Amino acid sequence: MIELRRASRKYQQGAREVYALRQVNLMINRGEFLSIMGPSGSGKSTLLHLMGGLDQPSEGEVFLDSKPLHGITDNELTLLRRRRVGYVFQFFNLLPLLTAAENVGLPLLLEGLPFSQVKSKAEALLQQVGLSERTEHRPDQLSGGEMQRVAIARALIANPAVLLADEPTGNLDSHTSEEIFLLLKALNDQGQTIVMVTHDPKAAAYGNRILTLKDGAPVQDIAIGEPVA
Amino acid sequence: MNLINLLRHISLKHVRLQKAQLLIAVVGIGLGVAAMVAIDIVNVSVLRSFAESIDQITGRAALEISGAESGFPEALLERVQEVPGVEYAVPVIETNANLADGSKRAVMILGVDVLQDHQIRNYSLTDEAADIPDPLLFLAKKDSILLSKAMAKQEKIAIDQEIRLQTVEGIKTFKVRGLLNPEGPARVAGGDIAIMDVYAAQLAFGKEGRIDRIDVSFLPGGKLDTMKARIQQVLPSGYTVDTPAGRTRQVEILLERFQKNMAFTSTMVMFVGMYLIYNIISISVVQRRKEIGILRAIGARRSEIITLFFAETCVVAALGSLLGIGLGLAFAKLTVGFVAQYITDVYLQTSVTSLTFSSGMFFRDAALGILASLLAAASPVLSSVRFTPLAAIRAQSSGGDGFILSRNIKLASALLLALSLGLFAAYRAAGPGSDFRSSTVTVASAIFLIVGISLLTPAILQGTMLLFHRFLSPWLGVAGRLAGINLQKNIGRNGVAVGAIFFSISLYVCSASAMHSLNVSMFDWIDSIIRADLLISSGSPLAAGGAHSIPMPESLAGELEKIPGVRMVEPFRKGYLTYENKKILLEIFDVALRMEYCPGMFAEGNREEVIRQVPGQDTIFINEGFATQYNLHPGDSVVLPTPGGPVRFGVAAIAVSYSSDAGVVWMDVHTYRRHWQDTLVDTYEVLVKEKSEIPRVRQAILDRLGQERHLFVLPALEFRNEIKKLLANTSVLFQAVNILVLLIAGFGIVITLLASVLERTREIGVLRAIGMKKNQVAGVVILESALIGTLGGLLGSATGLLLGWIAVEGFFRLDYGASIVYHVDFSAIAWAILLSTGLAALAGFYPARRAAGINIVEALTYE
Repeated sequence: MIELRRASRKYQQGAREVYALRQVNLMINRGEFLSIMGPSGSGKSTLLHLMGGLDQPSEGEVFLDSKPLHGITDNELTLLRRRRVGYVFQFFNLLPLLTAAENVGLPLLLEGLPFSQVKSKAEALLQQVGLSERTEHRPDQLSGGEMQRVAIARALIANPAVLLADEPTGNLDSHTSEEIFLLLKALNDQGQTIVMVTHDPKAAAYGNRILTLKDGAPVQDIAIGEPVA
Repeated sequence: MNLINLLRHISLKHVRLQKAQLLIAVVGIGLGVAAMVAIDIVNVSVLRSFAESIDQITGRAALEISGAESGFPEALLERVQEVPGVEYAVPVIETNANLADGSKRAVMILGVDVLQDHQIRNYSLTDEAADIPDPLLFLAKKDSILLSKAMAKQEKIAIDQEIRLQTVEGIKTFKVRGLLNPEGPARVAGGDIAIMDVYAAQLAFGKEGRIDRIDVSFLPGGKLDTMKARIQQVLPSGYTVDTPAGRTRQVEILLERFQKNMAFTSTMVMFVGMYLIYNIISISVVQRRKEIGILRAIGARRSEIITLFFAETCVVAALGSLLGIGLGLAFAKLTVGFVAQYITDVYLQTSVTSLTFSSGMFFRDAALGILASLLAAASPVLSSVRFTPLAAIRAQSSGGDGFILSRNIKLASALLLALSLGLFAAYRAAGPGSDFRSSTVTVASAIFLIVGISLLTPAILQGTMLLFHRFLSPWLGVAGRLAGINLQKNIGRNGVAVGAIFFSISLYVCSASAMHSLNVSMFDWIDSIIRADLLISSGSPLAAGGAHSIPMPESLAGELEKIPGVRMVEPFRKGYLTYENKKILLEIFDVALRMEYCPGMFAEGNREEVIRQVPGQDTIFINEGFATQYNLHPGDSVVLPTPGGPVRFGVAAIAVSYSSDAGVVWMDVHTYRRHWQDTLVDTYEVLVKEKSEIPRVRQAILDRLGQERHLFVLPALEFRNEIKKLLANTSVLFQAVNILVLLIAGFGIVITLLASVLERTREIGVLRAIGMKKNQVAGVVILESALIGTLGGLLGSATGLLLGWIAVEGFFRLDYGASIVYHVDFSAIAWAILLSTGLAALAGFYPARRAAGINIVEALTYE
């Protein structure tokens, strides 16, 4: 469902060009839980950004559900992020002025749906992530773990083809981290395709496939178990 | 729908949590709109009041015939009455008098044909005069007068009571035969009006055999153009046949400079308001960059973000405009009296009784406020989506500085500056009368200059900060060092704040320098033309200016000469003549006498030529404005209308005068009397034998003549001071606007610093955690603010000096048509720098308090 063909991403650093990703070929199937590992600067996040349409490859091609993510307009890419991709960031990236329910419902509000309709769906998702009591709380009234759950619920509200998580527990304690991993695992068990970037081998083990990057290129790709569907 | 969702769920939350910022934005826009609305209302109300007065006074007349200011022979009336198609042609005398008792107020006297005038005008007498005076009885008694009920009430005058009026013939007593209801002519001049029979008025006001106007109505079917042509045929040339609306147009032409100044001021304030909006939206975009990034990351389109910001601007601008319109109405109410008085003093008598504000004006002003806000917001709004979602999420605050410091921006700035200088050079090179010599060219040049330097402010701030670090920061300790680093860290945002101050200060210094130059030039000119020891006028101390003056008879000169100590008495008369549809100011004096003691200021030709050619001859001298408009030089000639028909006058010289926009013509009193048959005098200028005798002679004049007429006898110094005070009133208006401009700029600084403090919450928390004291934190913020203010002040002063020069060379030379030497107002520059630094430091207090009051633990966890 996600495919990268000889995808590279380079940046200009002063006078020289630096490759964050170099000639990556990768195929991710529906229902997979792919953990991407590697040391800092290995290109993990860049790879995730290319998959989610937050960034575009300098060379090569990226496909989501066989549709190209390269060479399309900003508007098309934006709608794709809104409707087909769910993002979970390390620093949650919730809007501080909005309640948990509003934050979760934001992608649907952008579609122009009335809040009454959005709210019931957001509340259902918040209940699914264990936050049914916190729907009217603002981010500054939530703990780190709770904020990340809200972010996960937001990522799920548009029924995305893939959920992309960038170091989702990088900012959380070990106990809370485990809760988040279990939640992601449960979602994957229900058929949700997930790609997660992490530098923690224990966390990576929650996935059913682990891809290791080094200097912008895959060095290892191991399947742990069979995908659910 | 999604826009409504975004407004409701995003923008509304910002409003709830950032009330102070919203309030500043609304008040800032409100002040800009208020100044525009107030000026607009006052302008429209003044013109409307003139138009209404003219309508009320002309009644059903379709055309009115006027000639020389001093009146024309009444014999013409018969000729007009005989024109086929004329229904009624009635004579009118319109003149001024003062009540000799009570408030001594100025009263407009309308002399009309009592038997016929009701065919043209509506008069209704109050019930107290139920026995409406028999017109024949009214006619038989030359002292009959009707007063408006409003004035009679204020002055406590009853029917049949005698009143004393100061007239051209001295103080005269009249008997009030009835009171007029506030309708038609009785509403003119705020009700300060009295009606007399035309023949009685001729006698009382020294106009025997002459009338000021003929009002004409047509028989049914009479066509305006045909009737106008027919009437024009029976009149000698030099007479004006115009509709009442045409007279309103004349007033508009007369007030053109004043209206233009007001419009310029209003545009200036709106510009500052726009700059503030630009500032507010820029800051908002910077503050909300992360929010924009998140929205973009989860699927908000660029167009949706842009629409959201524009929609927010629209809402804030609408609120600001509403507030502005309310404030503007209040400002207008407060200032309209002052403006009306100024117009009366300088141009012609007016009294604005009500403000004109229509629903059309409301919608237009609101739309203008919103449109100006959207225009100002355009650049920062479009820049809000320039970043990739990732860069925005990471809140790379310095990310925007690359663009504003880029070569392209510097190139654009250089291009604008070159364009500005090029335009102005071309303006100066173009000869007088060229199409290129228009105020549009100078305005364009000034705008290019301002925008060009505005674009450069971030680069200038960057350069200044390098110098600051090198030379100043070591002396200011840690606070200075941190302030410098903070300013440098976000050149973009701080550049906008510097720009706001720069903009306001440049306008302040420009208007102060231009005003100063104008005042110095005018004061020099006044000193050069007012050389007599004593100036005598009647009705108003400033007879040379407005409409209150009551002329004095020629015979008074003889009486004055008899007073011991008087060396010389010289008459001065002022009037207007219509030349190419413009009202040209005609100033009459005894040229031979005047040239003896008054040097004058000549642009072409000289005093000797004037003395040789002008006295008693059909030769005049004219001012620069008149000469430039019609390309006249000494030796040329010009045909002017006189009551006896057009006369060709030679031009002896061209002199400096600031008295009128349309032009000034000086004529010898003997020539004038020969052509105009008018011997009245507006001012007598008196020279005394010994300067030490001035107070004694003044007292002697008052003792001898003060009883029979209400005279103002002012020593020249006092007179000059009165005129200067009048001129200074214009500056007061500009000063008030300048203060408003600075106030709006102050709001800009508060917003910038608040945003800066908010963005640095975590950093301030760290500084406090490692031991920085509250007052040190506050000191850093105040120092930043003061640095922004000082830089903005210095940059603004330098630009203001250039703008002032453009204004003097462009606007004033164009408007006044007179040489004005550019004088730098050093005190204004000192004030500008002091004010900008002080105001900025003051504006920093609230953000500084907020920074010092930050909770350390919360700040350290602030995301």
